[in-house]
Amino acid sequence: MARIGVYVCHCGLNIAGVVDVTKVAEYAKTLPDVVTAKHYTYMCSEPGQRLIQDDIKADKLDRIVIATCSPRMHEETFRKAVAEAGLNPYLTEIVNLREHVSWAHTHEPEKATEKAKALVRMGVARARLLEPLQKRKVSVEKSVLILGGGIAGIQSSLDLANAGFKVYLVEKAPSIGGRMAQLDKTFPTLDCSACILTPKMVDVAKHKNITLMTNAEVTGVEGFVGNYNVTILKRPRYVDAKKCVGCEACTKVCPVKVPDKFNENLTERRAVYVYSAHAVPKIAIINPENCLRLKTKKDVCGKCQTVCEPKAINFEQQPESVQVKVGGIIAAVGSEVFDATRMAELGYGRFKNVISNMEFERISDASGPTKGKILTPKDGKTPKTIAFIQCVGSRDKRFHEYCCRVGCMVTLKQAILAREKIHEPVRIFICYIDMRAFGKGYDEFYRRARDMDIDFIAGIPSEIHGTPDGSLHFDVYDKGTNKLLEIHPDMIVLGTGLVPNKDLERISSLFHAARSADGFLLEAHPKLRPLESAVAGVFLAGACQGPKDIPDTVAQASGAAAKAIDLLSSGEIELEPLKAVVDKDLCSGCRICESICPFVAIEMKTEKVKGEERLRADVIEVVCQGCGACSSACPTGAIKIQQYNNKQVVTQVQAALNETCVEGGK
Amino acid sequence: MSLVDLMSMAKPNLETRDRVLSRLKTKELVNCYQCIKCTSGCTALKLLELKPHEIMKLVNLGFVDELPTSDIIWTCATCLKCVQRCPQKASPYHVIIALRNLAVEKEAKVPETYLKIVSQILETGLAEPPQKIVTKKMETVDRECLQLPKIKAPKESFQTAFMKAMEER
Repeated sequence: MARIGVYVCHCGLNIAGVVDVTKVAEYAKTLPDVVTAKHYTYMCSEPGQRLIQDDIKADKLDRIVIATCSPRMHEETFRKAVAEAGLNPYLTEIVNLREHVSWAHTHEPEKATEKAKALVRMGVARARLLEPLQKRKVSVEKSVLILGGGIAGIQSSLDLANAGFKVYLVEKAPSIGGRMAQLDKTFPTLDCSACILTPKMVDVAKHKNITLMTNAEVTGVEGFVGNYNVTILKRPRYVDAKKCVGCEACTKVCPVKVPDKFNENLTERRAVYVYSAHAVPKIAIINPENCLRLKTKKDVCGKCQTVCEPKAINFEQQPESVQVKVGGIIAAVGSEVFDATRMAELGYGRFKNVISNMEFERISDASGPTKGKILTPKDGKTPKTIAFIQCVGSRDKRFHEYCCRVGCMVTLKQAILAREKIHEPVRIFICYIDMRAFGKGYDEFYRRARDMDIDFIAGIPSEIHGTPDGSLHFDVYDKGTNKLLEIHPDMIVLGTGLVPNKDLERISSLFHAARSADGFLLEAHPKLRPLESAVAGVFLAGACQGPKDIPDTVAQASGAAAKAIDLLSSGEIELEPLKAVVDKDLCSGCRICESICPFVAIEMKTEKVKGEERLRADVIEVVCQGCGACSSACPTGAIKIQQYNNKQVVTQVQAALNETCVEGGK
Repeated sequence: MSLVDLMSMAKPNLETRDRVLSRLKTKELVNCYQCIKCTSGCTALKLLELKPHEIMKLVNLGFVDELPTSDIIWTCATCLKCVQRCPQKASPYHVIIALRNLAVEKEAKVPETYLKIVSQILETGLAEPPQKIVTKKMETVDRECLQLPKIKAPKESFQTAFMKAMEER
């Protein structure tokens, strides 16, 4: 005979405002085996928890049913409270009266109360069959893999390395630094981006706890939280990293010229090149798709080899596969900038003087194509009129519905930079929908731009026109003056937003990490667990989780590092016991569960039974996530999820269907 | 009423607004955040002062009583630029057409040109009648001298169907 206690939570007025909690508690008392039933304003509060604990001791309760919010919210809280009172924490059953009842049926209080009663009845029926379970402990690897060497990856790496953890930082590009390395100044303080970033880049390269792998990518992830086996492919640089001194002699003789991606294709680089002026590591790399010798696989050119004094050029280098063991993973792969050619009406790609805001950064940067002078890309002249157009590709259902979160501030910064750098008279227009200056010091920055005689036009042009002489113009209706204005700018900068990295598709499948509707990686909870993915041990940092500016990215990166430290610092972790278990006598070895398991947690083993060899499924406990797919697919009922076995679930269903069938399973 | 336009003392008419909305396939078509892109590019704005964003806002607020009787809704050239460019997939064009249909329903004044087109379609089946054109050699030609077949008048069943469709609207 079980001794069950039922506790109904008001959740302030969240539940009690709709459901008659007194009636539900009274009803619970009539159910068999229920020794006590109470209701209280906030069960999760300290007095609420104590109420349960006192009853466990006084009434010798051995099963607890709590009718409250979603188990995702407080199941862990109540399990802990129950455990403190000396009861096995897995003898607790949560009934969801908030998300499933009061919030869903706000306007039908009577029916809602009936539904609440039914759910409590089901909970009590199931609680009777609960079995005590024990958590398992496994040791963890005290090292972390960080994907992406932008400012997010750099910050996470340094935080973890300084805390004494081993870090493997994997970057796809030949240098770390990411998007931030391409920027000129940063809002809202106008710090020079390189001045604040490069010292951190150097720190990463020098840190004894950080293994930096550039020009590399992760190709395989196996294992589970605390014990991941990661395969990293190091692509050949064709330059010996130990010999190259970064003198750039090779880049001067190479005959192949291709657009330079770092300069947003505004300049050209050679087939052998150093990624950027501040590259870390500052060593040359040969792109095999550009290099004449590597492309043709013939003994041609080789000019770089002849000029290289330290003899660093090596055309024979091969890709190398590296295996590392890590306890946690931080995804910090960043985002990309919207490709404005997709928005045909703006003429980007057709008109040379229509540029993206990333191109403006390179033009404004001292190490960029114009050495920091603001000049038009088409004719290299100082513009007399510049127009910025906001929300290109963002807040647009045709492309990306979300706000890019950086576009307004980027444009304000670039307008200020243009005003400061151009010493001749220049008119600056910003065409916007809403000016979003939401962060610390951001509205003051907006004010600063207004003080600098920048014209704000509340309206977006429909299209940009080009004339045969190369000049540009557009019409825009201004909300403030109710006038249709015609503007003839010499340069138009598009406020292109941030979009999900193309690599995210591959990365999300590599880690089983889900993506949200906007294409970015999905956090475990939008408010309370923004730094974690739903996969245990995989954390998120920076713009791969959603568009973000530098302050937010750095904050999230440090947060993700702290989360990883939290996971790994004790050297061992507890695993939930809600796993699949196989009844070996029932298993027919049909392998359906093996094919269906999304986590590859099922291993087929051959066993000898009475001299006969038989195939049996076996669950790798640490890999199993307890999703239950195998259990519902198993034709013989041999594989079960602990705490959710057939008997427990069927009893609950019976209790739902039949008010009198409350005995359940007896 | 909780909302009054103090310039004209007009009050919103939510009933008429619902009638406009019911003519639109989805409510998304009036879901506007006033980026003004439609008005910036409006073909009818420079000459005829059509401001699609204003119509969207008036419909959203419920100031719809004056719209069906005003001339402004007939100035739309139906070029569909606003539909194509709208970042919110709203459609001033569809809203304007709904208002025009409402105007017909209310027997408000419809510009003569439109009535002419209707009767012409009924008679000939064509929105645009066959015209004489001038060739490169400056000769004026018509279908007859080009020996093109005569355009037949539409069948009676077409006229009945057309009238029925108009009434249903």
